Amino acid sequence: MKILVATSGVPFIRGAAEILAGSLLEELSEAGHEAELTVIPFKDYPPNRIPDQILACRLLDLTESCGIRIDRVIGLNFPAYLIPHPHKVIWLQHQHRSAYDLWDQPAAGGLVHSPDGPVIRETIRRADRELIPEAEAIYTQSLKVSDRLLRYCGIAAAPLYYPPANALLFYKSPPADYFFFPSPINAANRQWLAIQALAQCRERVRIRFAGEPGSRTQQAECVHAARKLKLNDRIEWLGGVSEDRKRDLYAHCLGVVFPPADEDYGCVTLEAMLSSKPVITCSDSGGPLEFVLDRQTGLVAQPTSESLAQAMDMLWADRGCGAAMGEAGRARYRDLHISWANVVEKLLC
Amino acid sequence: MLKINWFSPLLPARSGVAHYAMQVLPVLARSHDVVLWTDQDQVSPEVHAIARVARYDPAAPPWREINNGTISIYHLGNHPDLHAGVWRVSTQQPGIVVLHDLCLHDFFFALSVRQGKERAAYRNAMERWYGQEGRESAEAFCAGGVSVQTMQQNFPLTREATRNSLGAITHCGRALEDLHETPACPTATLNLPYAAAGESPYRAWLAVRDGVPRPPYRLVVFGYLNRNRRMGAVLEALAGIGEREQFRLDICGQLWDESHIRTEIERLGLGSIVSLHGFLSGEQAEQKLGTANLAINLRYPSMGEASLSQLQFWDYGLPTLVTRTGWYASLPEDATAFVRPESEVADIQAHLRAFLADPGAFRVLGECGRRSLKNHDPESYVDAMTRFAAEALGLSPRVSALALARRVGGDLTEWLPAAGSPYLLERASKEIYTAFEGRRH
Repeated sequence: MKILVATSGVPFIRGAAEILAGSLLEELSEAGHEAELTVIPFKDYPPNRIPDQILACRLLDLTESCGIRIDRVIGLNFPAYLIPHPHKVIWLQHQHRSAYDLWDQPAAGGLVHSPDGPVIRETIRRADRELIPEAEAIYTQSLKVSDRLLRYCGIAAAPLYYPPANALLFYKSPPADYFFFPSPINAANRQWLAIQALAQCRERVRIRFAGEPGSRTQQAECVHAARKLKLNDRIEWLGGVSEDRKRDLYAHCLGVVFPPADEDYGCVTLEAMLSSKPVITCSDSGGPLEFVLDRQTGLVAQPTSESLAQAMDMLWADRGCGAAMGEAGRARYRDLHISWANVVEKLLC
Repeated sequence: MLKINWFSPLLPARSGVAHYAMQVLPVLARSHDVVLWTDQDQVSPEVHAIARVARYDPAAPPWREINNGTISIYHLGNHPDLHAGVWRVSTQQPGIVVLHDLCLHDFFFALSVRQGKERAAYRNAMERWYGQEGRESAEAFCAGGVSVQTMQQNFPLTREATRNSLGAITHCGRALEDLHETPACPTATLNLPYAAAGESPYRAWLAVRDGVPRPPYRLVVFGYLNRNRRMGAVLEALAGIGEREQFRLDICGQLWDESHIRTEIERLGLGSIVSLHGFLSGEQAEQKLGTANLAINLRYPSMGEASLSQLQFWDYGLPTLVTRTGWYASLPEDATAFVRPESEVADIQAHLRAFLADPGAFRVLGECGRRSLKNHDPESYVDAMTRFAAEALGLSPRVSALALARRVGGDLTEWLPAAGSPYLLERASKEIYTAFEGRRH
């Protein structure tokens, strides 16, 4: 089949969405299809230009290329998933969340601060409600995203889980004395919560943070907080790390700390499971809760520094328990049958 | 329940809109979450008792807090000091606009005067809605070559007040028809609300009047007495009838030019008959209304406004003289005595003589007026207003669709030959319509 994977991207920014699109492309090619990526440049400010970008997508014609039919379009992100095609399948990674659940969140971006924010929000919602159902099939990346789509737009869609990139390369090694916190540094990923928790731990817990900062300010705030709490000798800021280095850090950690606020999916959880490591997450973390079974494959803390500290103390003190949870996590990953073969089959059937 | 941002003049502002708000807000706040936004220095305690009052700077409104609301309701009238801030916010966030005046030419001109002698905003608005003729007339008006009355009649700028709105509410359909200019959005016409007094106080007032009224009969004029309140004609009419000593005229309210009126009273020899009382407190106003025999409530030209004073006169069972124009022309024939603009002095005099001949017949007019107040129930008004607001919310994507259509049209005309544009315009129109109007499923 000739397949176009349609996604939206912010020029010069590479994140999880770009990695996922790249992985999907590789897997489609691996399965013998001719697949190509169509990236729609997206800019979410000023808000009143977002409808322009919806219209731009709607005016694209991806039915043919040089007289040859394009058999399928797979839409991933807003507004690229609105591109029309007679055989479109949507595998929804994200709607424009500041028009939905993140509307009144501090990290929501500009929409709520804009005078025409409410009108633009309704415009985006209307377009989603009217145009997403055009697709022949609709999947999402997680139950969390499915729930949101149903709640706000009344559209039902099944989750379709995918494995992390290079899933086969993750491995397990004997643990060293640190927890691993691999996420871009930003408010939503809540590195600040882990720092506050660390200050309340009874054990001399150590955390190694890996990930690029969203901004210099965000990094500076975290470093300043750690210094203020006199935690410098228990925290390590690794910045961005290579894929090899990341897998090594997973392999040797005691456990993975992953307490984001309302994450959609969170490959971190799956990477930890593939590395046979327990995951500490929070009860409001969203996507990770679809995989972490409390006290079986990890710990689900309350989103408070006290609760998170207790969870870290527990795994720090009882290494045997942590190891058992890690093994249970690895077994659970296997039982979920998360594979690209399954994803490709569903998207093309 | 709606979360409503309410933008209007509030008491103690000397504005009919502030008094109107006091009719509506107690009912509205009972069943909806209302925030009263104001840029006034002071707000009366009785307003604070109704709902939360929040301050805003028109130059930098707190959008995040405003956006917590479901819908914003803006109240516009011709007074630039009282409505400039409301207007400024309304242009940025679409909401429901309540037009307390339908002809807003003077408002937009006054706003532009504040911006300097270029008056670009005014000229642009005139061109936006009336094309080349509008721009040329604006320039002629700024140069002093056209009368304000001509401009008001020909260029009311009603659409300018609603160009970014989800919906408009007016209080008089007939006045809107007279304008030949409909707002640029869905419009609802609702009867101006007024909470009539209970039966008992009315009977008490009637009892006072049931004693045989004796001369001198008390005439009253109330409210914000601008040029269009025809005070000159009233004084001239009174001075011109031989029976004038049988009347006393109480002028209660803020006069647009008090010294001029005083001079006129002096010139016409009406010093012993006419009294100027200035702005009255609620209690003082009640006393005047309770002892009056006939109210005079003229407007010409009308800006398309409805009159809360008129409803108040009726609440007291007062017969009233009104001009046959705008909203006033739509009042029940059996509840008012009409004055024709083209013969107002003669008509006023005729009515005064008729009153002297048969005061009882005029009392019947007032009683009919009071009965008509059932059509102005605030509960019904709030119900209709909030239903309209909820419906208008469903149309909110239309605002961005129209803005988008304007940008698409503008862009295409820049580079596309006219012959090539129909196909692309049609495609763009169809996609905009489908995405934002929602007709596909």
